[in-house]
Amino acid sequence: MRGLLIKDLKLMRNMGNSLIIILLVAVGMSFYNSDMSFIVVYMAVIGTTFTSSTISYDEFDNGNAFLFSLPVSRKDYVLEKYLFALLMGGTGWLVGSIASIAAGAAKGSLNLAEGMMTALVLLPVAFCLSAFLLPLRLKFEGEKSRIVMIIVMGGFLLVAVMVAKLAKGLGIDLDTLGERIPEMSAGAGIAVALGIGIALLLISCQISIKIMEHKEF
Amino acid sequence: MLKIDNLNKSYGTFRLDCSMEVLQGRVTGLVGQNGAGKSTTFKAVLGLIRPDGGRIEILGKDSSQFSAKEKQKLGVVLSNAGFSGYLTIKDIVPVMGSLYARFDKTFFLEQVRRFGLPDNQKIKEFSTGMKAKLKVLTAISHRARLLILDEPTAGLDVVARDELLELLRAFMEQDEDRGILVSSHISGDLETLCDDIYMLHNGKIILHEDTDVLLDDYAVLKVDEQQYRTIEKRYILRCRKESFGYSCLTNQKRFYMENYPKLAVLKGSIDEVIMMMIRGEAL
Repeated sequence: MRGLLIKDLKLMRNMGNSLIIILLVAVGMSFYNSDMSFIVVYMAVIGTTFTSSTISYDEFDNGNAFLFSLPVSRKDYVLEKYLFALLMGGTGWLVGSIASIAAGAAKGSLNLAEGMMTALVLLPVAFCLSAFLLPLRLKFEGEKSRIVMIIVMGGFLLVAVMVAKLAKGLGIDLDTLGERIPEMSAGAGIAVALGIGIALLLISCQISIKIMEHKEF
Repeated sequence: MLKIDNLNKSYGTFRLDCSMEVLQGRVTGLVGQNGAGKSTTFKAVLGLIRPDGGRIEILGKDSSQFSAKEKQKLGVVLSNAGFSGYLTIKDIVPVMGSLYARFDKTFFLEQVRRFGLPDNQKIKEFSTGMKAKLKVLTAISHRARLLILDEPTAGLDVVARDELLELLRAFMEQDEDRGILVSSHISGDLETLCDDIYMLHNGKIILHEDTDVLLDDYAVLKVDEQQYRTIEKRYILRCRKESFGYSCLTNQKRFYMENYPKLAVLKGSIDEVIMMMIRGEAL
């Protein structure tokens, strides 16, 4: 698995310029946009998208056939992709969170505890994204994979908008929801959400292994 | 080292039904036209496709029990696949080092220099020949026991091909516990490298012979209508109608040279044998 991780990190170098631009955009947004959740999710999404890109690199020019002729099992490959997604998504989440909290603190619009709580709430969202995206990405190749990516990303956005609208319709103000929940129950809620996120990732990983084991190259 | 028993795989109307064996200390060639089933056979051996039936034994183990870790004992070249073109040789070195416990970095880098491969350039920018050289070098740099090489010399010029064949010979000489299964379109490579050759046509093995026997005992007889009617046909494997009469493939060259001294007997080459086995008719 270490060999695959090294390969993917080396492949990431090809995305070097886009990585710098994305980081600059995130830092810029964190100063001009007060919506921390958007920046954190944006960074986590980008991190996960990089994993999808490495899958494309692997598929390109029949590369998977060669990859699986090396001492690499289908299971190793899937586990490495999830680890890489967590690494990239996690780094994106961390960078997004730090940038937002730092910008919020500098502007005096966000206190540290509140920022950390928001960041933690958003971590399971990053998990869920990887859990949904990776099996679909591994299942579909080429042009189909791009359509799947758009559908998943669009679907995520749609669900977020619908939840916000539904909450508004029910008279729940999401912005002040966090403030109204006592700290203890908020902590428990985050723990449950994280647990659900991790469980989803584990189920998703099993599905991905099955998908890869059925593939022919 | 490798034993394939009645390997079956169907794609639409194409059906592979192949049995063959690679013995220790030997280089076995697999020849056939495009679409004959060579790559399908290689892919089945490597677990890249699921066979419909049959049994494959690799280094004494059933292929279904052959783990990813045990694949360290294999060195593989695939004709249409390799490391991502977005990587460089410098990138590949740590990857190979992590994947193969016995990766010989010094040997690999020495050969990279010897073949003049740029180590800091993306593989996708390599010429066809450079890519072919890199593929072979990665296959032989981790002290594998069995090499599985699908068209390893494709796209190489004569000199580079000779150098690579020399590397493969050296690979075999280092340890008698090794073996190679190789496919090639270039009969010269097979004649000088292989101990025995399997011929695959429309998914079936139609010939298996030691290379020495193929070159020494096989021949094509060029006969006119009159000669064709009178010659002994017991040792004729394939026959083909020509403008002058018939071309006949035999595996008993000496018999015809001694008994029919006036016959035109052309020394068998792998290309001739392939052509006759595929285009000729069995009597």
